[in-house]
Amino acid sequence: MCGIIGCVGRREETLDVLVHGLSKLEYRGYDSAGVALGGDGSGVSVAKRAGEIDDLRAKLDETTLDGAVGIGHTRWSTHGPPTDENAHPHQDCTGDVAVVHNGIIENYQTIRDELVAAGHTFESDTDTEVVPHLIEEALADGADPMAALRSAVDRLDGSFAIATVVAGTEAVFVARNDSPLVLGLDDSESPRDSDSASGGQPRATYLASDVPAFRDYTDKVVYLADGEFARLDGEGWTVTDDAGDPVEKEIDTVAWDAEETGKSGYDHFMLKEIHEQPRALRQCLRGRVDELSGSVDIEDLGDLSPTGVQFVACGTSYHAALYGAQLFRQAGIPAQTFLASEYATSPPPIGDALVVGVTQSGETADTLSALREAHHRGARTLAVTNTVGSTAARECDHALYIRAGPEIGVAASKTFASQLGALNLLALGTAPVTDARDTIAALRDLPGQVQELLDTSTAAAVAERYQDAEAYFFIGRGHQHPVALEGALKMKEITYKHAEGFAAGELKHGPLALVTENTPVFAVVTGDGEKARKTVGNVKEVEARDAPVVAITDGQSDVDRYADSVLQIPETHASAAAVLANVQLQLVSYYTAKGLGRSIDKPRNLAKSVTVE
Amino acid sequence: MSVRTAVVLAAGEGTRLRPLTRNRPKPMLPAANRPILEYVFDALIEAGIDRIAVVVGYKRDRVQDHFGPSYRGVTLSYVAQEKQLGSGHALQQARSDVSGPVLVVNGDRLIDGRTVRSVIDHFETDPTTPALAVLERSDASHYGAVDLRDGDLVSIVEKPDTDEYRLINGGIYAFPETIFDEIEATPRADGELALPDTIARLIERDRVRAVETDGMWVDATYPWDLLTVAREVLARGRVTETKLDDGVWVADSAHVHEDATLQAPVVVGPDCEIGAGTVLGPNTALGDNVTVGANATVQNTVLDVDTRVDAGATLVDTITGQDVTLGVETVVPGGPADVQVGTDVFEKQDLGAVFADRSRTRGNVSVSPGTLVGPAATLHTGVHAFGQIDEGAEVVR
Repeated sequence: MCGIIGCVGRREETLDVLVHGLSKLEYRGYDSAGVALGGDGSGVSVAKRAGEIDDLRAKLDETTLDGAVGIGHTRWSTHGPPTDENAHPHQDCTGDVAVVHNGIIENYQTIRDELVAAGHTFESDTDTEVVPHLIEEALADGADPMAALRSAVDRLDGSFAIATVVAGTEAVFVARNDSPLVLGLDDSESPRDSDSASGGQPRATYLASDVPAFRDYTDKVVYLADGEFARLDGEGWTVTDDAGDPVEKEIDTVAWDAEETGKSGYDHFMLKEIHEQPRALRQCLRGRVDELSGSVDIEDLGDLSPTGVQFVACGTSYHAALYGAQLFRQAGIPAQTFLASEYATSPPPIGDALVVGVTQSGETADTLSALREAHHRGARTLAVTNTVGSTAARECDHALYIRAGPEIGVAASKTFASQLGALNLLALGTAPVTDARDTIAALRDLPGQVQELLDTSTAAAVAERYQDAEAYFFIGRGHQHPVALEGALKMKEITYKHAEGFAAGELKHGPLALVTENTPVFAVVTGDGEKARKTVGNVKEVEARDAPVVAITDGQSDVDRYADSVLQIPETHASAAAVLANVQLQLVSYYTAKGLGRSIDKPRNLAKSVTVE
Repeated sequence: MSVRTAVVLAAGEGTRLRPLTRNRPKPMLPAANRPILEYVFDALIEAGIDRIAVVVGYKRDRVQDHFGPSYRGVTLSYVAQEKQLGSGHALQQARSDVSGPVLVVNGDRLIDGRTVRSVIDHFETDPTTPALAVLERSDASHYGAVDLRDGDLVSIVEKPDTDEYRLINGGIYAFPETIFDEIEATPRADGELALPDTIARLIERDRVRAVETDGMWVDATYPWDLLTVAREVLARGRVTETKLDDGVWVADSAHVHEDATLQAPVVVGPDCEIGAGTVLGPNTALGDNVTVGANATVQNTVLDVDTRVDAGATLVDTITGQDVTLGVETVVPGGPADVQVGTDVFEKQDLGAVFADRSRTRGNVSVSPGTLVGPAATLHTGVHAFGQIDEGAEVVR
């Protein structure tokens, strides 16, 4: 789980481009970083350093690197601790080959043993380091750099996006299998043949794990598929398949504005993104609902008419998927939600269910595995994702975009709201309902109601009040159960405090033993029906154990009588209330983490989109 | 040395526009269906500015949320003015964001690119002498009035007591970088640093050039002025939605029922839904995601973002804030009326009613001309409302 950047055609600006790209990729991992430059008349020079990008910058200030093309890497450790040695790029014995890699090479130990036996010396603990040594072997056998990369990749099992530079060659060579890789084409001088695989003489060509790395320079991109190789050089770019035959690639244009990745006056991306939820929800709904006629129009999904739905997802997306399954079940369609990592290795019977993968990035390795397993078994698949052109979007039969815009904070915030919005659309659009008008009205009211919370929330004061708690518990029923789980996940992720979410009724079956006067319980209670009454009953159980209670409520029940603090949300339709309650919990976590001085946008040990299993 | 950087002053609340400024500063109030500040940024970009520093203060998240890190490809940086201690103090906050000459504009008035460009052009002929836009106004005594001799400023007086003045300071300035030292050296008056005080000092010691302009310059002082502002914006066609007919603009994502009538000039923003039999316009502007049910009549009215108007309502000369809900058969028959704001009375204003953010009426409510409904106030079924209604009030029959 790492970020890769590469650049050809920027000459003396190459190093700046690489470091800038790494700073944009830092959300993918940030325990070490490095760059390598190469070119025609030069060898390969490498600078790398454990720590954040700034540590690398400091190292670069005292090092001189030469070369007209280059690659860079920001690392999130999978094999070996974050040290200077384990940072990428890795080199071969001669120092003529430098490699950066994202993914996991499953058979690296076997290969490493062979190479060591053949006399190669290894400097790191990483799986990656076998790659430069394999390339070195092939080069020694007389292969050209591209052939050498192919022969190395032939030996690898696992997931990888690899980029390499080789001494004496002004080019970058790349290979992709199961890890994201995208090319960026700056064609400000007109391309020779813009839609052919080998065409184009762009001014500069980039490669990266994700578009923001080079979005400041171009919006023209080519997504590489698994098994594809590419060569970027002064002539342009060529993509070939695993047999070496040229592949025709489509050039896509990405819509996101590079500047959208700034913090716009906020201390943290997370708070900025929490504040972007009204806009994200507007974009999610735009052109897809008509309240006055009660119709929902989700483009390109065709007639899905599912007789059953299985959701697969991880983390925050899993919580959104739990909620999505509830919506389908309410509409009379059997639906279940599975943790993608479990589904991939122990899949349930699928029957003729539609399998829906919920993944913000569209690159989550566990979710991709689950979707592939479902596809392999003949199921129809649908991706609910934020990322156009992502692997999930391309591999599934259908894609529904949540349109939240880029999210940089590692802890998901606005994308959860947009996922809930999109899942409502999916349920309304594919499951029979007699009258959708009330639900659509409630969805259309959400942007204004979220804004109301942002204008009026007292979450900062609540956070301060309970900042020194030992642990936090979150309870809710029905749609508010996934919200309770998400509230706890957010709290864990950014405050590093113990936090757990439970279905309100489960509390007394065990977790109540953990409840003390130092463990605030956040109870999400909306409406005045049976669910609310029963949750209020659970709140009384907690109160009897002297735990402070924070009620997140629309004021319809009498939960506030038993609560020490109240976070108010506007009254709305049951399907929409989850979005509102979640905003309050996001703010509580944010302000708690801020009060504790945590690294909110880049919590320890975590990465934004987890592209390893 | 060319002027490429602008500082936009957008930190003040605009207290005379209460109750509409409850949740956002004046620059974020709607001119037709876009915030005033968007027109200011448009003017700067048209004039060739490529870097904008925005001084934000009161409810600053609303500015940041709306624009984000860039606008039309131009980078925005935000500078916080924690306490609103005058326009000079506001500009000082942006000092570290500026190198070289700088354009400074107020963020709360509609201006056009031509005016900005002419100030820059005049300044660039002599880039050590400050230049500012002046324009003719019959009500000059309400603004910063100025007097000229041979194209130079000879006096600048805030809200003079006399009617002698005919020119006002347009709030568009081009300064050399030394302005920051000049502000620093200006004595504070009542703890505040006002930019005109610094300019008055400069006039005494040196020259300040005046650039006379007849370009667009539209200001809202009181809530009901937003109706005039909308009319002016629509008349000038400064609208970004798709033009369907002369004076009729409808966003692509809006749904207007085929049996609804749009009377020019009228603009309908993104995501709006307009029901059958409804008549919108003339001089009417709808912000994003506004819903108007069937058989409603809406004229000379500004409905801001997320407002909901239920079936059969009649709204004339009405302004809503954000997320306002007006129930079925709500009737606002329109002005003129004497409007009371605090203890002041403004006679014969063309105002039906102002509904501040998140206020609501249940069904069958009638509202007398000139009524100001506070934020989150509720008028329950059958109420006849008039005068000033406080924030959060529940009015029952």
